[in-house]
Amino acid sequence: MKLRNETMKTIIFDIERNSFVDGPGIRTTVFFKGCNLKCKWCHNPESQNREKEILFYKNKCTWCGRCSELTVDDEHFLCFNDAKEICGKEYTVDEVFAEVIKDKAFYETSGGGVTFSGGECMLQIDLLLEMLKKCKENGIHTAVDTAGHIPWESFEKILPFTDLFLYDIKAMNEEIHKEYTGVTNTCILENLKKLLKSNVDVWVRIPIVPDVNDTEEEMKNIKAFFESYGYPAKIELLPYHAMGEHKYEALGKSVEKFDVPDKEKIEKLKNIVVPY
Amino acid sequence: MTDRIAELTKLTLEGKMFAEMTATEFDREDIFLSKQEMESKRLCEHILNQKPVLTQYQKMTGFFLCRNGIVVGDAFHRQGHKAWEEMRKDFYLKNIDNLSTLEWQHATADYKKVLEKGIKGIIAEIDDSLKLHTEKEEQEFLSALKNVAETLIKWAHKCSEKALEMSEQTDIPEYRSNLKTLSEALKNVPENKPSSFYEAVLAIYVCFSADPDSVGTLDRYLNPFYEKDLKEGKLTRDEAKEYLQELFLMLQAATHIANGNFTRGGESHFCIGGYLPDGSDGFCDLSKLILEALIDLPTWIPQVTLRWTKKTPKEVFRFALDCERKDPNKRIAFQNDEKRLKCYTEICGFPFEKAVGYTTVGCNEPAFLGAITGSNSKINFARCIETLFHKKSEKIINTKDFDEFYSVFLEEMFSDLETAYEYDNKYNRMRAKDINYLSSIFFQGCIEKARSLTQGAGDVVIASPMYIGIANVIDSLIIVKQFVFDEKIITMAELVSALKADWQGYEELHALILKKGDFFGNDTDRSNYVAQKLYQSLYEFLKDKTNLFGYHWLIGDLIGYNPHHKWFGEKMEATPDGRHKCDSLKFGLGQSEGKDRNGLTALLNSIAKVDPNAIGCGSTVTNLMIDEQLVKNEENFEKTVDMLETYFKNGGVHFQLTYVSKEDLINAKATPDDYKNLRVRVSGFSDYFVKLNEAIQDDIIKRTTQK
Ligand code: SF4
Repeated sequence: MKLRNETMKTIIFDIERNSFVDGPGIRTTVFFKGCNLKCKWCHNPESQNREKEILFYKNKCTWCGRCSELTVDDEHFLCFNDAKEICGKEYTVDEVFAEVIKDKAFYETSGGGVTFSGGECMLQIDLLLEMLKKCKENGIHTAVDTAGHIPWESFEKILPFTDLFLYDIKAMNEEIHKEYTGVTNTCILENLKKLLKSNVDVWVRIPIVPDVNDTEEEMKNIKAFFESYGYPAKIELLPYHAMGEHKYEALGKSVEKFDVPDKEKIEKLKNIVVPY
Repeated sequence: MTDRIAELTKLTLEGKMFAEMTATEFDREDIFLSKQEMESKRLCEHILNQKPVLTQYQKMTGFFLCRNGIVVGDAFHRQGHKAWEEMRKDFYLKNIDNLSTLEWQHATADYKKVLEKGIKGIIAEIDDSLKLHTEKEEQEFLSALKNVAETLIKWAHKCSEKALEMSEQTDIPEYRSNLKTLSEALKNVPENKPSSFYEAVLAIYVCFSADPDSVGTLDRYLNPFYEKDLKEGKLTRDEAKEYLQELFLMLQAATHIANGNFTRGGESHFCIGGYLPDGSDGFCDLSKLILEALIDLPTWIPQVTLRWTKKTPKEVFRFALDCERKDPNKRIAFQNDEKRLKCYTEICGFPFEKAVGYTTVGCNEPAFLGAITGSNSKINFARCIETLFHKKSEKIINTKDFDEFYSVFLEEMFSDLETAYEYDNKYNRMRAKDINYLSSIFFQGCIEKARSLTQGAGDVVIASPMYIGIANVIDSLIIVKQFVFDEKIITMAELVSALKADWQGYEELHALILKKGDFFGNDTDRSNYVAQKLYQSLYEFLKDKTNLFGYHWLIGDLIGYNPHHKWFGEKMEATPDGRHKCDSLKFGLGQSEGKDRNGLTALLNSIAKVDPNAIGCGSTVTNLMIDEQLVKNEENFEKTVDMLETYFKNGGVHFQLTYVSKEDLINAKATPDDYKNLRVRVSGFSDYFVKLNEAIQDDIIKRTTQK
């Protein structure tokens, strides 16, 4: 328990209050930096690297030169043209908690709480565990948003302090999964089986990316998986959107382009996989 | 909607139900009478000379206006009141030392009393008072009231005859019978206590002429009639709805169609729900019916506020919010009884049973049934900041810490407030020179004290001048604390120089302040600390202060129909919150210019916690702009309901919503023709965006749209 609080720090790239989309009720979502998947459609590319980074929007830059010696630790830096920003800030458990507790009254009325997301928040399991414990001690509903490519032991650690998992199935087809996320789905699906068996609530989220996983076959396979191992409390389809594209450029990364799926398609796929 | 109401709606929206005034020739020898005798005599002659608005579709009639200036008007329409007219010429929309300016007052008649004893009962009160008040002036005043009250009865009888005549000219049996019923009813009300729900609504309809402003706490004084008639099988819910709609249409028609205010909600504003004297929540089936009746009508006036209490069931709150989101004309707002009653009992000292009788009128001014809003000025609250940095900078330049700076600031702020409140008293003193006969009949205290409404007769009255620029002051204090004292990014001397130069040569500092300033609304420790400290100081300053009539001073923050925040701001130098010279000030504590960056819950927390003492429960509004998408989706709508309920539980005073995207607003300003129907909440009232003046349009655009 010595590790607790002040000494442990992690890089958080955003704390979003009043989130309506990361679980039940009104929530505060804490985004960890660092991910062990590299999904080609990721709309938060700044979440992938665990270290702080500089985002540079070249077209806004006037080349004034003020940032020539900028380092990622320069907290007070400000580009007057919004061309450069530092992504990521160090937080201790207590600092994160101080933000989360502010909306407690909203969680209580709405059945909401905190959602730890990322990136992959479970990569920093000890710190996450401390945060979860602290929230639970204070009566806050906790959710963990994970891609699931994590040793089962990590899940076991946090299970007693987690009310809900938001769990992604990105593809059932192993090759597609490997090609588009960088890893196979074996461990992910194994973990999901175990989670579905345990007492915790699970919401499964399926990103729908055209020409990757938007097929009836994929949905049927997911359905078959649920039929064998149990249905999660909720299934959500998340249509791909291109809102993260500009950030790839700002990070000097190349961006993969995908189409945005149409509404009818989503409806059709949803009807296959969602049992109600 | 019934056919009859549909017809009346059509006529109302065409402006054909307006009570045109008929000119009256007065006996020129009137001027030899005393002032009170002459004014009241002419008023009576004017009333009896009017023609009731009457069509075959009506079940109600009897509304008239006194606003041509030849006779004295009412509490709301002051034409004909000499002192008021004189003051208005020089001070309305013309501020004094960029500190204070005169504004309108609102009032609501004591309809409960009308329904309990009829005008006859009120005349009996006047007779009793005549025995007690023997001074000539008092005798004259009371006799004038009596004459006017008797005239109102005669007027109702005249309307009764007209209705009978009209019934004889109508072929449609249903309408003929309606008009006959109307004719009979007008023989009974408002003279006597109504014998049915229908007569009760009719009595309000006629008496509204005496103060065509707000119908007050409509659900609670009508409910005994509603429940009784329902129980006895004399009334159906649908019939009750029709009567309410006919009343609401008259409220709409009371404003002339050519008047810009015809499409503004603030012209008539009342409340439903809220605590009853026994401590229970007063939202009843009639309250619900009132909302249903109103939302069915494609009108703008009246607007209604739901008074929320801790006991308000969630379904009621959700129902009202659901009506609100479906209402294209934006007529519904929300008030927190917990906070307001804390203020009215603890600060104003009213007993709970009386305090629960408040309503909000106009944009959002608190008034009690049978009382006026006791104050009539707008204060430039940010002037003290300007003075400190531009005229008295030597006083602050060497302050060692925030507390020392703050105490210098307080001195300046209190001195401005003392002056501004004195002006408020002066406006009231001037107004007291006019005598109000018509409204005084229906206002508490006037008869007992033999004194006009304008002369401070009321006993439960609140005096809430409106502070413009509260957010500028809070943010300026925060920036001083953050940049000068906490983070020591600049010295006070540099800040003073930057402001004197209107930020010229200090562009980087200006940008840094705008981007990194810990502004109010972000729910950070520092911003909350400063804001709460300011409200605490205001509370301590005001907690025992009353105006010249003994009405407790409170704080409000709305602007009303006029862009006072622009007018005050354009004569002001730069301020530490990043405001440039001549920029508008801010009104209210809602969203502003993207300075609140932590989301809506953060903003709502900041606002809800700012004033635990509740000194800010005067004419206070909180405008929230919410992304339209949020309430289109049912699941998100539920979360929005929860969010707003939490805001009230946390101590928020008021809110009203606009659902719109920023792009819509920008486009609407550029191509108004494409956005004629875009309706937004402004400062306690709602209006078509394209009809607002540019300053208010810009202000709305600048407020962040919260996701
Ligand atoms: S400070 Fe901003 S504008 Fe200046 S060179 Fe750096 S990125 Fe470009």
